[in-house]
Amino acid sequence: MGFVGMTEMSLRSHTRRFRRMGGLALVLAAALLLLAACGGGGGGQTGGSGGSDGGQTGGGAGTSGDEIVIGVIGPLTGDYAAEGQGFKKAIDLLVEELNAQGGVLGRQVRVEYADTGSKPDQATLAAQELVSKGVVAVVGAYASSETEPAMEIFHEEGILQISPASTATHLTEKGYENFFRVAFLDSAQGMFAARMLVQNLGAQRVAIIHDNSTYAYGLAEWTRQFVEQEGGEVVFFDALNPQETDYTALLTAMQQANPDALYFTGYFSQAGLLIRQARDLGIDIPITGGNATNNDEVINTAGEHAEGFITTTEPLPPDLPYDKARDFVARYREKYNEDPVSIWTAMAGDAFDVIIEAIRQTGSTDSADLIAYLRDELEGYPGITGPITFDNKGDREGTIYAAYRIENGEFVLYIEPQF
Amino acid sequence: MDIFQQVVNGLTVGSIYALVALGYTMVYGVLKMINFAHGDLFALGAYLALTLFGVTTAASSGSGWLALLVVALAVALAVGAAGLAAERIAYRPLRHAGRLPPLVSALGVSVFLQNGIMLVWGARPRAFQHNLSLEAGLTLFGVRISAMQIIILVFALLLMVALYLFVQRTKVGAAMRAIAVDHETARLMGIDVTRIIQLVFFIGPALGGLAGMMVGLYYHQLNFTIGWSYGLKAFTAAILGGIGNIPGAMVGGLVLGLAEALAAGVSGQWKDAIAFVVLILILVVRPTGLLGERVAEKI
Repeated sequence: MGFVGMTEMSLRSHTRRFRRMGGLALVLAAALLLLAACGGGGGGQTGGSGGSDGGQTGGGAGTSGDEIVIGVIGPLTGDYAAEGQGFKKAIDLLVEELNAQGGVLGRQVRVEYADTGSKPDQATLAAQELVSKGVVAVVGAYASSETEPAMEIFHEEGILQISPASTATHLTEKGYENFFRVAFLDSAQGMFAARMLVQNLGAQRVAIIHDNSTYAYGLAEWTRQFVEQEGGEVVFFDALNPQETDYTALLTAMQQANPDALYFTGYFSQAGLLIRQARDLGIDIPITGGNATNNDEVINTAGEHAEGFITTTEPLPPDLPYDKARDFVARYREKYNEDPVSIWTAMAGDAFDVIIEAIRQTGSTDSADLIAYLRDELEGYPGITGPITFDNKGDREGTIYAAYRIENGEFVLYIEPQF
Repeated sequence: MDIFQQVVNGLTVGSIYALVALGYTMVYGVLKMINFAHGDLFALGAYLALTLFGVTTAASSGSGWLALLVVALAVALAVGAAGLAAERIAYRPLRHAGRLPPLVSALGVSVFLQNGIMLVWGARPRAFQHNLSLEAGLTLFGVRISAMQIIILVFALLLMVALYLFVQRTKVGAAMRAIAVDHETARLMGIDVTRIIQLVFFIGPALGGLAGMMVGLYYHQLNFTIGWSYGLKAFTAAILGGIGNIPGAMVGGLVLGLAEALAAGVSGQWKDAIAFVVLILILVVRPTGLLGERVAEKI
């Protein structure tokens, strides 16, 4: 309607300008459409072509005698980027050492990384990317909500997948032969957390907050069940929205239920905000969190309010009571001048080592052979995080949990590792 | 008692929505265009403030409030300049291209800014550290109010009033309103349309940048996607209040914040669902928004 009052001349000049700039707009529009297509419909297409030539490239890589390609899928960017980068650092370190010693089966190992961007939809694409690169086996992903969609792709292709960090119990209930994890289950952590809340902290009335992600909801449910078994009562059970930064309304509602302690099962990015806002509201009950809150980011965000926050987790790598763990931590420090990001860094190393062990023992790079070996034969493999044996569902046997408490701006061991 | 605390919580979040919504509504008022990049300009302001506070805190251990003033000024200027650049590069060439191309262009600027922020400041959440003691709060009849909550609310109110007076009482403001009615006629009346639009694209983003700084100060943590999440809520607030209407943006922001907080009192998981059902109901009854008068001619 702006055109109505225009003179002919200005109209012409505008048309010309429009034509000139119209191209730019079209390109931008096309770029956006492309983005949208990648996010949604593009999946089927890539999956299909991956399926048809995946075997071909896979076979080629398996027999040509040069490099063995192992994939790593994880959150290299996005909310959980810190953990994804930890995967990468651990595996870069191990593959470098492995290749320096001549690789495995006399062949060098190459690692391909694919980024989930911490998002479930991008995880599918990342998995397809690895399939199309002809990977022999895959380490990953981190969050259960990104591992789950990726599992579907690797399952279809029959590629061995070992998650270092996804603890949601139901992942192994699907009965996928090719899926394993070196992480311990949420149910075990839920039990440990419930005992700590009821016995160590003496909490009779427990509040549980999750974030509706696969992992956080699962852990919250398990904790609720075990708290009730321990004789406690869950007086508040609700979720926050991790896209947001303000949880005061939820915390005010929680305060109304008058709990003795809070257990937050979501991730570290939200934990710092949650703690700070709870303390600002004058909530002074003990605040505790699950193993995704075991991260210094909590201290950076919550500052002095973080004091006294307790996290239930697998022990930090330097606290692991194994020689291999001490050795790994020393080599990691030497290479990167920092401690491993979290236990998941060590678990990623274990997932990688287990794949190499399977290739070495079977003399094969065929996923079916590796899967059969891991399921039936591997027993008590000495990993960084302790002995590794898989049960018939692909879950790791045993557990190891500890609790850490923030004191003077540092995570300090609060409850010793329990097996 | 509980409900009063939720009202305070809701007003705080709502005033942040309102601050961001002012930028949306201003641009829309003048250009009838939704600047989808506004949320990311807001995020840019937050991240610039994070860096500047890092520098000033290191430089001057003394007066944090002086630092705040300097940082606020620098952030407003820088984000305003970024808004000008976006207008020059992405919007002005498309000013006569109809309604959809600038919209697409704005989405492009948004994607560019968001990814730029991720590349410069990183993808992981960043703690926003500063040495201002803003936590000091008071408890009134069991309701906790912190200094920062009051500052945010007052700041949003002041800006809204200033902006309203500017648009309604000054010559430049009159020019803005004239352009809002008809560009070409305004030009024939001797108004430098381009200059006024530039001014709008400076003031709007500058306010957004300041809102970003407040969010950083208040929550102590930033994530490169905050532009998107706050932008969406602020955009909703602007529509709810009646887009193009400056007091409407304020009212819309506060109503949205309150609706969310009260809904969260019922269920945290269903908070957004409940809040948005309420908003849709409001819009069904008043399609032009709470304070909107003019009927929208096109989408």
